[in-house]
Amino acid sequence: MKNLFARLLSEPLEGFLERFIQFLPNLISAIFLLIIGLIVGWITKKTLYRLLRLLKADEFSERYGINNILIKGGIKDGVSLIVGRFAGWLVFFIFIIISLSSLNVPAIERLLERFFLYLPNLFVAIIILLIGYLMSNFFSRAALIASVNAGIRASGLIGRLVKVTIFLISSTMALEQLGIGRDTIVIAFAILLGGFVFALSIAFGLGARDLAKEYLEKKIKGEDNDYIKHI
Amino acid sequence: MNSIIERKEVSEKIKDIKDADILVGIPSYNNARTIGHVVRAVQAGFAKYFPDKKCVLVNSDGGSTDGTMDIVQNASIEDFQSILLHHRVRPALKITTPYHGIPGKGSAFRTIFQIADALNVRSCAVVDSDLRSITPEWIELLIKPVMEGGFDYVAPLYHRHKYDGTITNSIVYPITRALYGKRIRQPIGGDFGFSGELARFYLTKDVWQTDVARYGIDIWMTTTAIANNFKVCQTFLGAKIHDPKDPAADLSEMLFQVVGATFDLIETYPAVWKEIKNSETVTTYGFRYAVGLEPVSVNVDKMIDRFKLGVKELKGIWAEFLPPHILDFLKESEEAQKGHFCIPNDIWVDIIYAFVIASHRKILNKEHLLKSMTPLYIGRTASFVLETWNSDAEEVERKIEDLCIAFENKKDFLIEKWQEV
Repeated sequence: MKNLFARLLSEPLEGFLERFIQFLPNLISAIFLLIIGLIVGWITKKTLYRLLRLLKADEFSERYGINNILIKGGIKDGVSLIVGRFAGWLVFFIFIIISLSSLNVPAIERLLERFFLYLPNLFVAIIILLIGYLMSNFFSRAALIASVNAGIRASGLIGRLVKVTIFLISSTMALEQLGIGRDTIVIAFAILLGGFVFALSIAFGLGARDLAKEYLEKKIKGEDNDYIKHI
Repeated sequence: MNSIIERKEVSEKIKDIKDADILVGIPSYNNARTIGHVVRAVQAGFAKYFPDKKCVLVNSDGGSTDGTMDIVQNASIEDFQSILLHHRVRPALKITTPYHGIPGKGSAFRTIFQIADALNVRSCAVVDSDLRSITPEWIELLIKPVMEGGFDYVAPLYHRHKYDGTITNSIVYPITRALYGKRIRQPIGGDFGFSGELARFYLTKDVWQTDVARYGIDIWMTTTAIANNFKVCQTFLGAKIHDPKDPAADLSEMLFQVVGATFDLIETYPAVWKEIKNSETVTTYGFRYAVGLEPVSVNVDKMIDRFKLGVKELKGIWAEFLPPHILDFLKESEEAQKGHFCIPNDIWVDIIYAFVIASHRKILNKEHLLKSMTPLYIGRTASFVLETWNSDAEEVERKIEDLCIAFENKKDFLIEKWQEV
């Protein structure tokens, strides 16, 4: 009975404890590395931010229109803060990789290897998402202002629709880049977009036929010129 | 090709003419209906008031397809005795050429300046091609202050309907007056006189790829002349009656170009406008008389609706730069009935100055910022229409004067905010 207990419970536990004790220094060093990474990342962010401010990077980016591009996309932070934050997170990310490697676990090492091979795709996907975000902010605001100036009651809805559509397109492209559900996403997106356009055509052609006729007549004949349009 | 002078037919024509005393430019684009009258008025003006001067008429065309340029070439006065001319009349010298560059009035003017420079002219004028009310006297009134009065820039002064020229009355005139200190009533009138020296000065500026090449040219010419200490005056031309504007022309696009050019100039000349404390009248030529004006139709209900829609949808954007008391006021106005609808002078001045500062700080994309002003401008115009419904021309002018004083009184606030950036 005693032997059975030793074989079933005690030996595996002892084995686990032994392996855990062997693994413990690696785990401690990994946690230590993570904490160090957090601190170094924070210091990098602050130092780079102050250094760039000292070098007048914000003024430089304003002069060369970089700020304008960011503002157009709805990002109000200065270039020095953005670069500082990015560098801080990059340093922290590098420390995460080092700390995971320091665990010396073959499965994690294999995962890391695959991750490194996958990394360029991830990088491209992030860039696509970032550009998509900037474009969606810019075009939704443009659509909102244009539709308000055209006197369209549903201006807010148009603005939001433009934003969601552009973000959906960029997300689809990003997911395709990552190889996630490639065909499913493309088909789903095509069905959604096609359905949306079809629904709009039916709504406009049948439901709002008179409205469309009236609108086009006003535009072509210039009958809508009854409030001040002159300098 | 940077200069129109490099075009073979233009350079040959210039070689033939060699030099000239006076040049009048007419920018055009599909104005076959009215340009014949304008050309004849200019020719009669040359013959009647400058018979001993060498005068050239330049038509700078934007690619008309309705035969505008042919009409300019063929238009002439058959019977000079009908305009009481008995002396020998020289044949009119004409140059008609398409301009190049961004399509717009500014690019057309650039071509006129280049030809004026090549012909070394002393005095120039530009007149719109859609004018119905132009007379030969306009040429005298625009040219003589330069030829004989020693002025470099002659702005027009017209009688206009109280609801005509609302961008001028509510934004451009008060800003120009408050910032640059000269009471030029029609800074974007469209018909100007200027010296050859000023035309050459305009050509030294690198602005032909901006809004100046389009609707922004008028305010740019006026402000550039004032800010660079050229001698400016204005001349009374009577009524300005022109062909109805293209109904498809987009108000927000026009507002963007005119106000955008005004804001760009504020950015160019801070050292000039910050130093100017008060405004002064400028010399005014011409005999003033009352004229009958064409009625202007307005739909106040629709304008108020547009304003309210703008407040509802765009207040999120405006919240980034409008002061809190303005935002509170706009929220209250959203509920106001037609009888109580009013945007007072002080609020309007604060709104415009807040937009100037937002443009200076580059808080938003410039096009978005200025186009988002459209509902506010429509609201202010509706308020002005309601306020002046029963007013005569004199009373309306007094109300515009009050607005100008409000702009001048709050200029220190603008300077303070400008310096904070």
